[in-house]
Amino acid sequence: MSSLEFRNLTVTFGRGEKTVVAVDAVSLVVPDRTVVGLVGESGSGKSTLARAAVGLVDARSGDILVDGQPATTGRRRRGGLQMVFQDPYSSLDPRMSIGASIAEALPSDVRRAERRGAVAELLEQVGLDPLLAPRMPSGLSGGQRQRIALARALAAEPAVLIADEITSALDVSVQGQVLNLLREVQRGLAMSVLFISHNLATVCYLSDIVAVMERGRIVEIGPTEQIVADPQHPYTRELLESAPRLGEKIDPEQLAVPD
Amino acid sequence: MEFVRRYETGAGWCPDNRGMAQQTASTAVEQSPSERPQRSPWLGFLLRRTVRLVVSLFALITFAFLIIHLVPGDPVRKALGLNASPELVSSIRAELGFDLPLWQQYLKYLGDLFSGNLGVSLASRLPVGETIGNLLPNTLLLAVIAFVVVMVIAVPLGMLMAVLTQNGRRRGVELSFTTVSIVVSAIPEFLLAVGLVYLFAVTNPWFPIAGMDGPASFVLPVAALALGPIAAMSRIVRVEALAVLGLDFIRTARAKRLPAWRIYLRHALPNALTATLTLSGLLLSGLVAGTVLVETIFAWPGLGPSLVSSILDNDYPLVQAIVLVYGGLVLLINFVVDILLGLADPRSTIKET
Amino acid sequence: MSTTDIAEKMVDRAAARAGTGRGGLLRRLATSPLGMAALLVDLLLLLLVVFGPMIWGAAAEEFDVDNMNSPPTDGHLFGTDSLGRDILLRVLVATRLSIGLALGATAIGAVIGLLLGAIPAVAGPRVGRAVVAVVNVAVAFPGLLLALFFASIFGASPSGAMLALGVAFAPGFARLTQTLTAGVVGRDYVSAARVIGVGRLRIIGRHLLPNVADTLVVNISLSAGGALLAFAGLSFLGLGVQAPSYDWGRMLFDGLDGIYVNPAAALAPGLAIVLAGLALNLTGEVGAQLVGRRVGSARLPAKPATGAATSVADGPDGSPGADDLVLDLRGLTVSFPRGRGEKSVPVRGVDLRIARGEAVGILGESGSGKSLTAMSVARLVPDPARVDVQSLTFEGRDLSANTSRELRRMLGTTMSVVFQDLMSSFNPVMKVGRQLAEVATEHQGIGRRAALDRAIGRLRSVSISRAEQRALQYPHELSGGMRQRAMIAMGLMGSPTLLIADEPTTALDATVQRRVLQLIAGVRAAEQSALLLISHDVAVVAAMCDRILVMYAGRVVEDIPVDDLLAGPRHPYSRALLAAVPTIQTDRSQSLRTIEGRPPQPADYPIGCAFAERCAFASEKCQQDPVLEPIDNGSVACWHPQQGPVPGVVIDSPAVVSRQRATTATAGPVMPSHEPSRTRERGR
Ligand SMILES: Nc1ncnc2c1ncn2[C@@H]1O[C@H](COP(=O)(O)OP(=O)(O)OP(=O)(O)O)[C@@H](O)[C@H]1O
Ligand code: SF4
Ligand SMILES: [Mg+2]
Repeated sequence: MSSLEFRNLTVTFGRGEKTVVAVDAVSLVVPDRTVVGLVGESGSGKSTLARAAVGLVDARSGDILVDGQPATTGRRRRGGLQMVFQDPYSSLDPRMSIGASIAEALPSDVRRAERRGAVAELLEQVGLDPLLAPRMPSGLSGGQRQRIALARALAAEPAVLIADEITSALDVSVQGQVLNLLREVQRGLAMSVLFISHNLATVCYLSDIVAVMERGRIVEIGPTEQIVADPQHPYTRELLESAPRLGEKIDPEQLAVPD
Repeated sequence: MEFVRRYETGAGWCPDNRGMAQQTASTAVEQSPSERPQRSPWLGFLLRRTVRLVVSLFALITFAFLIIHLVPGDPVRKALGLNASPELVSSIRAELGFDLPLWQQYLKYLGDLFSGNLGVSLASRLPVGETIGNLLPNTLLLAVIAFVVVMVIAVPLGMLMAVLTQNGRRRGVELSFTTVSIVVSAIPEFLLAVGLVYLFAVTNPWFPIAGMDGPASFVLPVAALALGPIAAMSRIVRVEALAVLGLDFIRTARAKRLPAWRIYLRHALPNALTATLTLSGLLLSGLVAGTVLVETIFAWPGLGPSLVSSILDNDYPLVQAIVLVYGGLVLLINFVVDILLGLADPRSTIKET
Repeated sequence: MSTTDIAEKMVDRAAARAGTGRGGLLRRLATSPLGMAALLVDLLLLLLVVFGPMIWGAAAEEFDVDNMNSPPTDGHLFGTDSLGRDILLRVLVATRLSIGLALGATAIGAVIGLLLGAIPAVAGPRVGRAVVAVVNVAVAFPGLLLALFFASIFGASPSGAMLALGVAFAPGFARLTQTLTAGVVGRDYVSAARVIGVGRLRIIGRHLLPNVADTLVVNISLSAGGALLAFAGLSFLGLGVQAPSYDWGRMLFDGLDGIYVNPAAALAPGLAIVLAGLALNLTGEVGAQLVGRRVGSARLPAKPATGAATSVADGPDGSPGADDLVLDLRGLTVSFPRGRGEKSVPVRGVDLRIARGEAVGILGESGSGKSLTAMSVARLVPDPARVDVQSLTFEGRDLSANTSRELRRMLGTTMSVVFQDLMSSFNPVMKVGRQLAEVATEHQGIGRRAALDRAIGRLRSVSISRAEQRALQYPHELSGGMRQRAMIAMGLMGSPTLLIADEPTTALDATVQRRVLQLIAGVRAAEQSALLLISHDVAVVAAMCDRILVMYAGRVVEDIPVDDLLAGPRHPYSRALLAAVPTIQTDRSQSLRTIEGRPPQPADYPIGCAFAERCAFASEKCQQDPVLEPIDNGSVACWHPQQGPVPGVVIDSPAVVSRQRATTATAGPVMPSHEPSRTRERGR
């Protein structure tokens, strides 16, 4: 069993008059062995939700449960939450070898002697050459870096993985590689994944369930086919209509006549 | 030049303002300012800065007050020397209010300060306020003239160098400019002063060697103060201007096919100026500090020599007052620069959160 | 992705390109001639500090009663002081005290500063804020002034002055530490470490310190130079070293009295101060440049350097339909010097013709040369680049020649460029309306008031509400989508016959993107202008354009009408690209098609087809350069052009679907799909 549940989670920034409610009483379940996709525009609170889950920002109220237990971050234990970040160019420490970055995430009970082997195995798992381990990340491509970031997250043997816009900094041809990899890993390890993206197409491709977020709230959630075929909320409809489709033509906007 | 380093490490009051090249980060402000009616952020900005000034002034006053109490040993005994009579010592102690508990002394100090009473010098027995009133204008005159000279020379020079040496053009000019500027700015003002005295007062007696007596007497002290900052400042202006010239909106201006002068003067210059302004605050503060040394060398009737002698003589009332004056000047300069920055760069009022 | 994210990504990429972090700072210092010189002087100083007093200490104290206050002689190279002691020897001996005290002060300052600077990162937010505020105020004070303040407490003695100076330097270090650590703390790798559960101390030790150390060390070196000068200043004022001890500042003070008799007594210690200060500063400066903290050479836009190739330009030739062409570009090459006479050539022989009113898209991955091509057309390529064309004709005018005022005016009103917004494309300190109006005042000879009115009209025409107010606002007060509209409105100030848009919507959200695209389409319809649209998104170019150029590794590999592209392009790369992009219609039960490997870098473009390494159809023949040959309604550069619809690609348009059916019979595979687990990306 591995599931993630947000119960009435609220996250705010700032104080007094300038308070911004980034996440507004969100309840969301990522069931066992399921990929839940979260879409929404920039500033809608997707990343804040993710960062709250892994303890990078504090929730104002509400609960985050992993397998029904309050989520404890860190402590280098198995079965927690892990996250892969958006920007491949800032998510790896430039002064730390690839192997060391991954090894740092191994559960603390993995013995020293076993670590090297474990790192090699993880690199294999994400389709990289284990010989990369002693190298520094500089000079690696974005795709390679994202694979390493994924390996690091997997090293902690998480129950639930959060992937926050992991392909939006990548080129199209590389994006496919990373999406395929994520899918393969999720199926292979029977993991639960919260997949966050502003790109409806990638979310629909990868997810079993899609949740749509707008201004801090989840406005619609349902099985992917249902959301695509029969969107209920006007915002979901707008998102679906806005997503560029191959073969359609964009209608010109009628310009106001300049005076 | 020290002020340059402070600038580069992001010193100054409105640190985020420096280096237009960093402006990409400023996109963070745009949450969605779309339809909300815009309330002018100016008032809040002004208020915050004023509060900051007042708080800092209070901190400064407290520091000045504490100087005398932080001195190891008995400050009065130290000031008057070992052979002063015990009666004199205790009468001065009473005069300074040393018999009272500390907090009462503090209140008394504040009270005196606000009623304009800065105390009496232990060494000369003259009212401190009067001494400062006589000397401060001379110091300010020197610093301000030097400042104007620096700005008038360094800013155009830096801009010119930037335009001339844009991306790798005229490598020779660039190299000699940077070398000269690094070397000149590494010479502290008191050494320059000694060198200038040697060259233009001793070897060639063109200018008076000391004192404040007519326009000619200003030349050497101002030169000693200004040379280093000119070198440093023009270098920074050049680098900032180059950075601005590399920004995207300059490309937009080129895409509009504006003539070159317009791109340089209307688009590049105002943006390079925000950095220059930040720098000029630090520069002016630095010049004020530099006067201490330069005045000592040229026997200038300013506050500097008094500060030094009062420290050497342990003349604490005078030290306290001069610390207040110099410190207050620095705080004021920074306050003004901040406000000017707010006017020059509309983003700075919003950027800080 | 928000604009912020993209901006950050770019900054990071720039940092990554700068390639900091390889090789020790010292080693890199030693490889530059200036750094070499500085290191040598540093070494000399070190020797003097260690051995100077041992060797000359006694001799420097010897009185030469016959030669008091003597000017330079053979026996005394710099003369003697008032007691007849040799100035040169004293200067040499004083090195230890002068430098030692300066280093002491620097060390005190660095330790206090580091501790202060680390507090915000370690302590709670409230304490942190207070410390930051105090440091912010203190840092505005010149170091010498602070040192004087503290000297009044610590007293006039060497140790007092050292302490005072150290305390005076602390705020600067604290500030630097804060700035640096704040920069690193925001990085994702620190977040990742926190998520993993790495402890606070370990994060500081393993992630924070190593990433700020270089810059800190450089600054400590710079500060040591500053401390040396400041200490000399204090001694000179009589607040530092006291007789009978002596350092350079003290000697300068003593020498100044006798400057009429023996100027060398003042000049020699002065020279020593300058030299030592310079060496320390230079070490820092060079180090700083190597660490890449400063803006060394900025990327600057300028007019393209038209090279030798221009001379062979045959001008607008008499090819059919030349009159109908808005733009005719032939043989475009862009190259960057890479030092040592080498160069990389990111754009290699691109032809681009755009008919009046036509919409042409350029499609390709990052680095394929799309932007450079578009910017070459607009003559806006950054300067170190060298742009060569065989011919470049716009509206029948030869653009490869030099700009005249009149040509500039023509370009200013007929060619408009829409940049990817990123906030930075507008001048941040100029009101939006004025930035638009500028075009009219400059090129159309309209007064300022009238120009502003026109700007407001144009803003209104791109559906910006309350245009009068918006025109008087600054760019940062507009939302991303609105800025992009304003940018388009700027292009409408004239009457563009060609609109160049480089990734105009990449930073925007889907809903905003659609509206901006609609606006561009609207402008095209209203102005009858041609469009050159650059994007890496197939769906976007397909939705906007009539014809598409696919670029790979600096070349056009396929030139094809949109409908044909959708029905199935000929070039294997175009086909793979089309298949790789998931859309909402993509079959979820299948793996995504991918293109293994990655595009080659401009520096190592191979001979022959650049796609060969990733191509499933590559053969022996592909080691020769394929040329762009006409095929069907377009042209393709491939030895083995494919045909038929691309499997797995779902197309919305009925016209295309019917065309696809017609060719299904001959459909071939796109590309064998790879199992990701078996793929290996090779490290370089
Ligand atoms: N100033 C420069 N110095 C050296 N090489 C450069 C410079 N600017 C661009 N290049 C190189 O030119 C190549 C093409 O750049 P260009 O910006 O045209 O690509 P692009 O197709 O627009 O990519 P993107 O999709 O990332 O915008 C890149 O590989 C880049 O490395
Ligand atoms: S030329 Fe050869 S390698 Fe290149 S795309 Fe065509 S078939 Fe592939
Ligand atoms: Mg580009």
